[in-house]
Amino acid sequence: MNMRRVSAILTKDLREALRDGRILILLLLPIGMAIFYNATTPDEDELPKTTVVVVDPGRIGVADGLREAASRSVEVEMLSAPDAAAARRIVDADDAAFAVVAPSPSGGDAPVRAEVLLPRNASPTAQSVVALVPDAVAAAADRPPATDVRVQRLAVAASDRKPADLLEQRTILIVVCIVMLLSFVALLVVPMQTAEELGTGTFGALRLAATGPEILAAKALSGMLYAVVGTVLTVVITGAAPDDPVRFYGAALGLAVSLVGFGLLLGLLSGNANQINTYGGFLILPIVGLAVAVLIVESGVLSVVMDVLPFTQGTRLLFDSVSAERPFDTGALAWLVLAGWSALGFAVLARAATRREA
Amino acid sequence: MSAAAVEVEALERRYGDVRALDGISFSAAPGEVFGLLGPNGAGKSTTIRILTGRTRPSAGSAHVLGHPVPAELERVRSEINLVPETPTVYLRATAKENLDLFCKLYGLPAARGDAALERVGLAKAAKRKVKTFSTGMRQRLLLARALLNDPRVLFLDEPTRGLDPQSARDLHALVAERAAAGTTIFLTTHDMTEADSLCDRVAFLADGRIAALDTPRALKLRLGGAPEVDVVLDDESDLRLALDRDADAARLNELVAAGRVRTVHSREATLADVFIALAGRSLDDGVNGHAEEGER
Repeated sequence: MNMRRVSAILTKDLREALRDGRILILLLLPIGMAIFYNATTPDEDELPKTTVVVVDPGRIGVADGLREAASRSVEVEMLSAPDAAAARRIVDADDAAFAVVAPSPSGGDAPVRAEVLLPRNASPTAQSVVALVPDAVAAAADRPPATDVRVQRLAVAASDRKPADLLEQRTILIVVCIVMLLSFVALLVVPMQTAEELGTGTFGALRLAATGPEILAAKALSGMLYAVVGTVLTVVITGAAPDDPVRFYGAALGLAVSLVGFGLLLGLLSGNANQINTYGGFLILPIVGLAVAVLIVESGVLSVVMDVLPFTQGTRLLFDSVSAERPFDTGALAWLVLAGWSALGFAVLARAATRREA
Repeated sequence: MSAAAVEVEALERRYGDVRALDGISFSAAPGEVFGLLGPNGAGKSTTIRILTGRTRPSAGSAHVLGHPVPAELERVRSEINLVPETPTVYLRATAKENLDLFCKLYGLPAARGDAALERVGLAKAAKRKVKTFSTGMRQRLLLARALLNDPRVLFLDEPTRGLDPQSARDLHALVAERAAAGTTIFLTTHDMTEADSLCDRVAFLADGRIAALDTPRALKLRLGGAPEVDVVLDDESDLRLALDRDADAARLNELVAAGRVRTVHSREATLADVFIALAGRSLDDGVNGHAEEGER
């Protein structure tokens, strides 16, 4: 692989893209949509919210103390329950993030004994409020040095969590626009540029001076460059700062790479840029549809199918990296799915390119 | 290693059941202008695609500058170039940008592009978008691109198709100049006049096979038929007489002796006549079966 040749073709592709109205529209449309949604979606509270159920038979004011202690970082909604069993039921029903059970303080200098019922998969927001419980209880009982708070971890099914509830509407729309941008780049822009070169014969002209793999590598790199620049632009312009930028841009790049191989294959097989431009929407619609569906579908066959698709796993990774709540708790599987589809896409492309030359 | 610039041995290329090339063999010496002639679909462009490493042969071998292609294409990539049949240029880019790209691909200074544009008379249009160019200008740009790396073997695939007579003459002059400088020119065309004036040797390709291969003169003498004369008489009637027939020769003598002849023109065989003699049909009739791919 001669990098000088790859770089020359890459530079040419970027310049050609800037002069092709169809390509410019495909690149700018999702970014424009993200800007539009960012400007028109109403502001939501900046502070994260959580709900706590409190058992306070002695009415020492645990709820007020906890709300006050958390007021700078979390907006806490308080529920009350008559006893620990009732509080547990509320937590199990996912109507509260955790429970604080504070029995009536005994006399003398005995410490105030309180208990926190915390689900094992509690969100970081809930856990940050739990950390404030000892001080809040001590302040409420007016016995600062002598408080004994025990945290009991509760087993709660993961399906009780609702990803869409953990994300702002604006964030969801911007991430969907980014998924749309990445799909446009990989499955419309890259194949259109490839097909146009084939259709006009310039691909053959390039083949005289460069190898097929060098030409395809340049086109794949151009796609990844459009994807990264487009994603960065969208984030910068909308001010949608991801909670985990490394994971976020890694997911965007990973999603682009997993689709670009197939995009190049599409261009190679079609050889007609206008055809791709006209009918490519039929390919993009289900992809963006499934990207949105990850917020809705939580179980069943479709959920299993979405577990092995690159655009759904990529979308989950993006959502997980924009929010501290990690709504999907994606792990190594998501990255493996992206890597697997990337390898498959480029392997099929290499085979098709070899067969084409043979 | 072979001394020939281009050498092809029992070359075959099949597309499904169709044999585009059916075991052709030939060679072109360094500095030779070699013409591959034949109707559309005869296999000319397929031969060039194989020789430039863009299509694999189904059987047989092809060597360029002593290296097998496409196996060792990388070793001759910088020493060959092509003027394709169709104008494969970037229309949204300027002429200069088109050549700059290939200068970078070949690792050449950008000044080579300026010189090539000057050589083909496009220096003043260097900064114009190619989409504003006429067919002739685009063809000249292709020629400029093909000259960038000063190739030792230059492939010309129907280079004058669609060109006006002046542009075609300019191209012919350039080909002659390159050949004189030692470049091997491999030309495909179905313009027999062009082949006759440019080529040192020509091969006739029909149905994927070489029907004849020799110098144009030798082929015309051998296969062009009997010498004929076209006679215009004093009553303005026309007469064609074959000089190898005694009766026609005697008739011509009688007419001359009677003072009835106003003009006599010898009618020499052309390469088109040679092809008809070989293939039993005109070059324009085309060949059934495989239609050659375009420049892709």
